[in-house]
Amino acid sequence: MKPEKHSSPPPVAGPSKTSSSDGIPAYKTRLILSGHSKSISSIKFSPDGKMLASAAADKVVKLWNTETGEILNTLEGHTEGISDIAWSPDGEFLASASDDKTIRLWSLEMMETVNILKGHTNFVFCVNFSPKSNLLVSGGFDETVRIWDVARGRTLKTLPAHSDPVTAVTFNHDGTLIASCAMDGLIRIWDAESGQCLKTLADDDNPICSHIKFTPNSRFILASTQDSTIRLWNTQTSRCVKTYTGHANRTYCLFTDFAPGAKYIVSGSEDAKIYIWDLQTRTIAQVLEGHRDVVIAVASHPTKHMLASASMEKDMTIRLWIDANSAT
Amino acid sequence: MNSILSDPFTITYPTAVQTSLNSGASFANFDPSGSYVAGGRPDGSAVIWDLDTKAPIRWLEGHVKAVTSVDWSQNSRYVLTSSKDWNVIVWDLASDTDPVRRRATIRFDAPVICASFHPRNSQIVLVLLSPGDAYLVDQRKQYRSRIELCEIQEESEEEGQGSRPRSLMTVVRFDPTGRYIFAGTSAGSVLVFNTRTKTMIARHKISGAGIIRALDFAKGGRRLVTNSSDRTLRQFNLPVYATSAAEGEYIEQELEPTYRFNDPINKNAWHAMAYSPDGEWLAGGAADNASHKIYIWDLANEGQFATALDGGPEPLLHVHWHPKKASIVSTTNVGNILIWHCPTPERWGAFAGGFEEVDENVEYEEREDEFDIEDESEIALRKQKAEDEEIDIDGLVEDPSSKQVEHVQRIADDDDDVAWAAEEPDDDHPDWRMKVMVEEDVDGM
Repeated sequence: MKPEKHSSPPPVAGPSKTSSSDGIPAYKTRLILSGHSKSISSIKFSPDGKMLASAAADKVVKLWNTETGEILNTLEGHTEGISDIAWSPDGEFLASASDDKTIRLWSLEMMETVNILKGHTNFVFCVNFSPKSNLLVSGGFDETVRIWDVARGRTLKTLPAHSDPVTAVTFNHDGTLIASCAMDGLIRIWDAESGQCLKTLADDDNPICSHIKFTPNSRFILASTQDSTIRLWNTQTSRCVKTYTGHANRTYCLFTDFAPGAKYIVSGSEDAKIYIWDLQTRTIAQVLEGHRDVVIAVASHPTKHMLASASMEKDMTIRLWIDANSAT
Repeated sequence: MNSILSDPFTITYPTAVQTSLNSGASFANFDPSGSYVAGGRPDGSAVIWDLDTKAPIRWLEGHVKAVTSVDWSQNSRYVLTSSKDWNVIVWDLASDTDPVRRRATIRFDAPVICASFHPRNSQIVLVLLSPGDAYLVDQRKQYRSRIELCEIQEESEEEGQGSRPRSLMTVVRFDPTGRYIFAGTSAGSVLVFNTRTKTMIARHKISGAGIIRALDFAKGGRRLVTNSSDRTLRQFNLPVYATSAAEGEYIEQELEPTYRFNDPINKNAWHAMAYSPDGEWLAGGAADNASHKIYIWDLANEGQFATALDGGPEPLLHVHWHPKKASIVSTTNVGNILIWHCPTPERWGAFAGGFEEVDENVEYEEREDEFDIEDESEIALRKQKAEDEEIDIDGLVEDPSSKQVEHVQRIADDDDDVAWAAEEPDDDHPDWRMKVMVEEDVDGM
């Protein structure tokens, strides 16, 4: 870990008149974190933004201090590589999804495994908590979506969700809906309580769907697909309302997110860059360079104008970026 | 949220049992958010169930005799239990200790029949003691008090003093705004008290009712339903009570029910009744000792009988309607809590993208330009244009059910009584979270 040149207060780029709220993003590397010994697969900020959790093919989860870049903890236990991690919204738990077919539930208080969720019959690829932190959803190579009781560690429902590995699954803001996407190219929306399928969003060509995320109001779903496109779907009308292109995504399940402030979209790319688009105009607002391999994961800080990104084998670092055009 | 995506023509009352929770409870109530159920048990404990996981998440163990009522604070942080052991306990679910921490224990000198929180401040508690005295307990520093609610007797009684025995209170409830306390009596009348002044402001004689057993309000507080010993449920439209009545003045008014509900065949009495959240349906739990029957009446349709739900052979003790949905919780006499819901048939068409299921054949009407060959660049251009439209990813779609509640609050906000109740607020913030407690006993660990 070594801070780059711009670690101290970065010089204000561009005209000083631009206000911090509607200024064009000007993210600059603040910290480079290294510690994983194999390709990183997922990074997530804690709900209070003080920590960043990372998971990798090296079977461990690492917790980083987002201010100093220190490693706070390394959580060991999985017997195979980890594909995804998630924080519980109450900040009490971390869940990690692994190729050892289990999900481990970690207590942040005790920094140890409090439950091992067994049930998937193949690699577990994605995981997320419900807004109340009492439920967990996971998806994997057994093509199912499972809903778990966090307190008891048992499966509540198994949805025969897709006909290919499930690549992402998530709750909406109030926990009444679950959305899943898979390599079959379909995005499905489920009623969380009954487990019934409410609708399916599909494009004509069915490119493999890498990642999905609900907008804060759950009216849209941001979906990245392996035709190097990110689409924003209206869940009510089942129509694609925005498309974002320019990055490269043909091989990996790249994460996508709303950049801090919710006015921009951010995604990694297979050309080792990070792309930031204007949500409304769909134009590229900034391209971040620095990583030396595919940027598989990006994450947005919950409150500050800070981004995190993680790269694969040839790089294996996490970069923290802050927006120079933002006052904070 | 999911209501937006699912069928808009949903039936508005439940039709089938979704889950049975084996809890040893004699009654159970939903919390105001509809996420939890609290059940009170004859052994003195109460249990909180999480409806997402259908699992018990907290045990409230503090009474040595049967729990007689359970109530939730407005944001579900505090739970009140009353018991035949003369105590009322206020529990704080935000405590992360096991057992749950108590915020207060309120002791009396008689068994407690029922108790409830003020709808806006959990530090104001209404209690009914056996055999029939009601107290308003205020635990706020500024107002710390325990005041008995007394019925004003008619002064111009000519038969002499002491000839008429004082009628006993059989049930006491806050109205949904918290401004008034309604008390049913053994003499078949409903008394109304101002919560702030603790004085009686109205007495409604209900002729033919006998002993009043229970009261329930439609969400807005404008309608009241009573259960009484004549085996009839009566619905009333409530008058508007003067905000500032002079000391000792009260309305003496007989109320005429808008509807009467009874069981014409078996002549069953009722154990409990509950309004649907929109006030358009009324559910009555029949006191039948051989079956579990809930009758539903359609209030929007002149109180017509809609259906009778059959919950099996275990007799019913209690009924409570979900605060937001077409769901009911009913309790059986062997301690099972039944959660009723409205099952929706699986729509297989939902599994296919851009596919719409229709019930009957529809004649396909082709649009004029539907199969016109169009220039690809033109299509792309049109698509581009459509995508330029500004979208809102932050603003929430307003939930019609929450709007209704707000409406009630708005009416009441500019009111002395409401302002009084809001003083020294409790710590029942809307954003508190129930901590998830992982069970220790996990196999494979």
